[in-house]
Amino acid sequence: MTDASLITSSRRLLSPVAALRIGIVAAVLGTWEIVAASGLLFRDVVPSLPAIGKALGQLLIDPVYYANLGVTVGELLGALAVGGGLGLAVGMVLGANAYLGKAFEEFLYYLGPTPKIIFFPVMLLWFGVDTGSKVAMGALSCFFPIAVSALSGMRQVDGVLIRVGRSFRASTWQMVTKIYLPAMRHPIVNGLRLGLGVAIIGTLLAETKMSNQGLGFLIIQTYTTFNMPRMYALLITLFLLAIGLNALIAWFSGGGAARKS
Amino acid sequence: MSAKVMPFAPQATMEMPILVVEDVVKRFDTPEGPLTAVDHMSFSVREGEFVSIIGPSGCGKSTLFSVLGGLVGGYEGKVTIEGQPIAGPHPAIGMVFQEDSTFPWRSVLDNVAFPLEIQGMSRADRYARARHFIAMVGLEGFEKRFPAELSGGMRQRVSIARTLAFQPKILLMDEPFGALDEQTRLLLGDKVLQIQQQLRQTMLLITHSISEAVQLSDRIVVMTYRPGRVKRIIDIDLPRPRSIDVVSSEAFGRYVAAIWSDLRDEASRGMNDAEARQRSSS
Ligand SMILES: Nc1ncnc2c1ncn2[C@@H]1O[C@H](COP(=O)(O)OP(=O)(O)OP(=O)(O)O)[C@@H](O)[C@H]1O
Ligand SMILES: [Mg+2]
Repeated sequence: MTDASLITSSRRLLSPVAALRIGIVAAVLGTWEIVAASGLLFRDVVPSLPAIGKALGQLLIDPVYYANLGVTVGELLGALAVGGGLGLAVGMVLGANAYLGKAFEEFLYYLGPTPKIIFFPVMLLWFGVDTGSKVAMGALSCFFPIAVSALSGMRQVDGVLIRVGRSFRASTWQMVTKIYLPAMRHPIVNGLRLGLGVAIIGTLLAETKMSNQGLGFLIIQTYTTFNMPRMYALLITLFLLAIGLNALIAWFSGGGAARKS
Repeated sequence: MSAKVMPFAPQATMEMPILVVEDVVKRFDTPEGPLTAVDHMSFSVREGEFVSIIGPSGCGKSTLFSVLGGLVGGYEGKVTIEGQPIAGPHPAIGMVFQEDSTFPWRSVLDNVAFPLEIQGMSRADRYARARHFIAMVGLEGFEKRFPAELSGGMRQRVSIARTLAFQPKILLMDEPFGALDEQTRLLLGDKVLQIQQQLRQTMLLITHSISEAVQLSDRIVVMTYRPGRVKRIIDIDLPRPRSIDVVSSEAFGRYVAAIWSDLRDEASRGMNDAEARQRSSS
């Protein structure tokens, strides 16, 4: 094998971007392990990597974990369905109607960045201490980015495509499903991604505040019992869950979004 | 038919026009005040006729088509199709727009099948009909492609096929070959001519090309520059069926020269107007 072929084949194995990513992860893990071994920080606040690995292994065979994971995933999907559906509908109506748009657009921008956790007491009163209030928090959180994306997406739809639909005498429902939604697929997927992020924050935060189930509850439980390795293991699974849900959204939109626009 | 034995019967009973435009005025509100885009335009189109509309840029041609297509309201005057005044998009009218109007998320086949899908036609039927019209505009083999993979001229042909698949009684085409080079225009014009003769399609075509208008039309409506009025309606007495060869005939040249002299005044008015506006704004 010549030098040149060695380089090209190694390049195919590891792109510069992938190499950099692996490097960063290795550096972070290395630093972590050094800090853990040095005992510089309070004992057990930074548990060693093998300890976290062991806790992760135990977690993954623990039925309690799966029961709580199921609760949180269910809440998140519910939040995305409710908040996303409402956000999409509100954004599209405001985008379609100039008068309503002008009247209500500002509210979206004012309420959007407000920390939704301040509404948690109200949600507890309305929807109870069980999953209802968690779904409500997640839905409330993801409503805003999705509504804002849908609103701006509506305004960006190419006017000539709307005229095409109208001249072929499409009904309002056909206009929405066959022209507006597909034309808005990129902003909608972006809105869903942003919405997913804040829905996870809203739901998990609510779980940590007041609940007796869900990943947020488990994390707080490990924190109060000072089981740091298990807490970190939980955080890792949470991180992976977020990545997984994001991939799921990308996959759902796959048919359209992956196409060249 | 009694019309045959009454040679001097009024025109309306002999050949009832399929489309009548009566005294249409369309104004837009602009920041600089109201702008009259279409000013008291009247003309009519008979079934099977090919009418071209020609006029300088900004004279109101696309606005006129939006009125005919029922896509804008708030105009004065009346548009009737087969005697019925229109209110909104009419099933007899199919439009091809000036801009690229293909759906980027649909394949060529699904683009062309779109109006049939809207009508609720079954999948098999609409694909069969779409394939027929795709072949008619010479895009056979491109059914599975997406607009992003096609050239501008091919996309324009997809739009034409899509509107043909709608099978409108009256086809409105707004500069469908605007962005194309002269040779492709001529060939596509020839294609349109074939399609028209094949389907006996009533067509209205907006164009900037005088030769294209003469090559294709039975009549040409020449518009003035702002406000857009009918300057002249010219009958083109060239033999049919026509082919691309008509371009080299002597009569063809005479028509082109006559229309050019009509248009020259209007176009230079438009240019002066644009220059004056530029001066006043700077
Ligand atoms: N929605 C609108 N609002 C305000 N003014 C408009 C609107 N649509 C068109 N106009 C104006 O009306 C006039 C005629 O426009 P139109 O698009 O009909 O011209 P056109 O003859 O099709 O020009 P071109 O040949 O360049 O396509 C122009 O001055 C244009 O600025
Ligand atoms: Mg135009």
